[in-house]
Amino acid sequence: MSDSIRIVGLQKSFGAQKVLQGVDLELPLGQITVVIGRSGTGKSVLLKTLMGLMRPDGGSILIGGQDITRLGDRELMRVRNRFGMVFQHAALFDSMTVFDNVAFPLREHDRKMKEAEVKRRVDAALADVGLAEAGHKWVHELSGGMRKRAAVARALVRKPEFLLYDEPTTGLDPIMTAHVDELIRSAQDHTEGLTSLIISHDMQATMRIADKVAMLHEGRIIHEGTPEDFQTSSHPVVRQFVDGKLEGPIQV
Amino acid sequence: MKDSISLLGGVVLRVVEDVGQYARFTMTAVLGIVRPPYRWRLLFKQMEFVGNGSLSIVAITGVFTGMVFAVQSDYAFGMFGARGLLGSTVVLALTRELGPVLTSLMVNGRVGSAMAAELGTMRVTEQIDALESMAIDPIQYLASPRILASMLMLPILCATFDAVGAIGVSYVATYTLGVNPGPFFDRMMWYVDTDDIWGGMLKSAIFGFLLSSIGCYRGYYARGGAEGVGQATTKAVVAAGVLILVVDYFVSLILAPMSVNRS
Ligand SMILES: Nc1ncnc2c1ncn2[C@@H]1O[C@H](COP(=O)(O)OP(=O)(O)O)[C@@H](O)[C@H]1O
Ligand SMILES: [Mg+2]
Repeated sequence: MSDSIRIVGLQKSFGAQKVLQGVDLELPLGQITVVIGRSGTGKSVLLKTLMGLMRPDGGSILIGGQDITRLGDRELMRVRNRFGMVFQHAALFDSMTVFDNVAFPLREHDRKMKEAEVKRRVDAALADVGLAEAGHKWVHELSGGMRKRAAVARALVRKPEFLLYDEPTTGLDPIMTAHVDELIRSAQDHTEGLTSLIISHDMQATMRIADKVAMLHEGRIIHEGTPEDFQTSSHPVVRQFVDGKLEGPIQV
Repeated sequence: MKDSISLLGGVVLRVVEDVGQYARFTMTAVLGIVRPPYRWRLLFKQMEFVGNGSLSIVAITGVFTGMVFAVQSDYAFGMFGARGLLGSTVVLALTRELGPVLTSLMVNGRVGSAMAAELGTMRVTEQIDALESMAIDPIQYLASPRILASMLMLPILCATFDAVGAIGVSYVATYTLGVNPGPFFDRMMWYVDTDDIWGGMLKSAIFGFLLSSIGCYRGYYARGGAEGVGQATTKAVVAAGVLILVVDYFVSLILAPMSVNRS
């Protein structure tokens, strides 16, 4: 039932600006893949094309052999049901409470589900992310870390096969970062066959949670491998990024 | 010369593109009204916002419009001794023109702008992307209930405006201006048809469609943070306001012959 995802030669431009210039990447089934790269290289664009929120200009995205870039809107909707996404700035609905945010996908898609069952599932999802007490709160009452966690709960509540996180820990303090990393890891370990893709530029966190790491640079994946490979890689761009050095091929 | 031609061409192209995008957006939203899933709760929430929320401003606008119109018309009619026609003339103007147009312009300022701002904020904070990522059609979820609610509530608001306006006219005419109440009310009943009222309500449904679809459209395609949302809101209110007046003229042209053969 579960499939791996293969991205082949993915291209996306905005006007004259070429953002993705042939991205090749495989997301192995049941693993966490972390894509790293400088800000503005197109990591968010990669995630959005992956879910069909943006149409790529070229290349393909194969899920279990089916190229989703060629699907019509309706079929694309069905594919999206297999995904959960945590947006960079959480993107919670600010007209709703935390509880209603997490309940939203259930109420929309599982319309026959009894409200008691919805409540049971949402409470469980909120407890998983440490927000058991915060269900009644409004989104604007939450701290940045709580928002991220609520967004994770919303993305997980329907038990997706693929989970995409866009910079889940950017802007959080180190302790909250460790907590969210822990959360991602435990979501992964508790969900059979979950395939995750995480966008990050936090090298420490990447080393902790990744099964596989890939670096996006100037529109292409320039290096991929295990976290250990990245620690020892001699690729100059990777070295500069991993070590956080000023000198190197990347000029600011 | 060549420059100004290509500049003009660019502007025309952008306008055509914009209108095309608006048409596509609106079509999707209208299809979204008839297609399942039906989200009654969202519809009622919008009806409450558009209807209840606008009731007081519409009532105040209506009563003062009626009153001032009574004063001005009394002055004009007094010049050729036709003060008995005051009631019927003013109420005709209210139900046929001022009711639908002023109601829609007031509601546009309140509701059209709110729709543009709300959807615009949802766009720039990626809430619309989030809806889409959850396999929900964001146009159907956001725009369809807002458009339907506006089309349903504007006629009711317009009828309120008419009624309150007529009360304003009657009060000023009979108490302040000392018009003889007998002929005043007789003529009013005689000249004002239910067709006039229905026509005004039909117009306001059309204006409700315009102001909500334009508000939603501008918000939906807003970009560039808070400033972009502000621009989208301004554009929506201005475009809908102007369009309401333009469309009013053409709808009046179509509706006018239908009521010519009155007794
Ligand atoms: N909808 C869009 N329209 C035009 N340009 C865009 C759009 N989305 C992203 N871009 C551009 O694409 C580039 C990559 O953006 P993004 O994927 O957000 O970077 P990041 O790697 O930091 O997530 C940026 O230069 C950005 O300006
Ligand atoms: Mg990004």
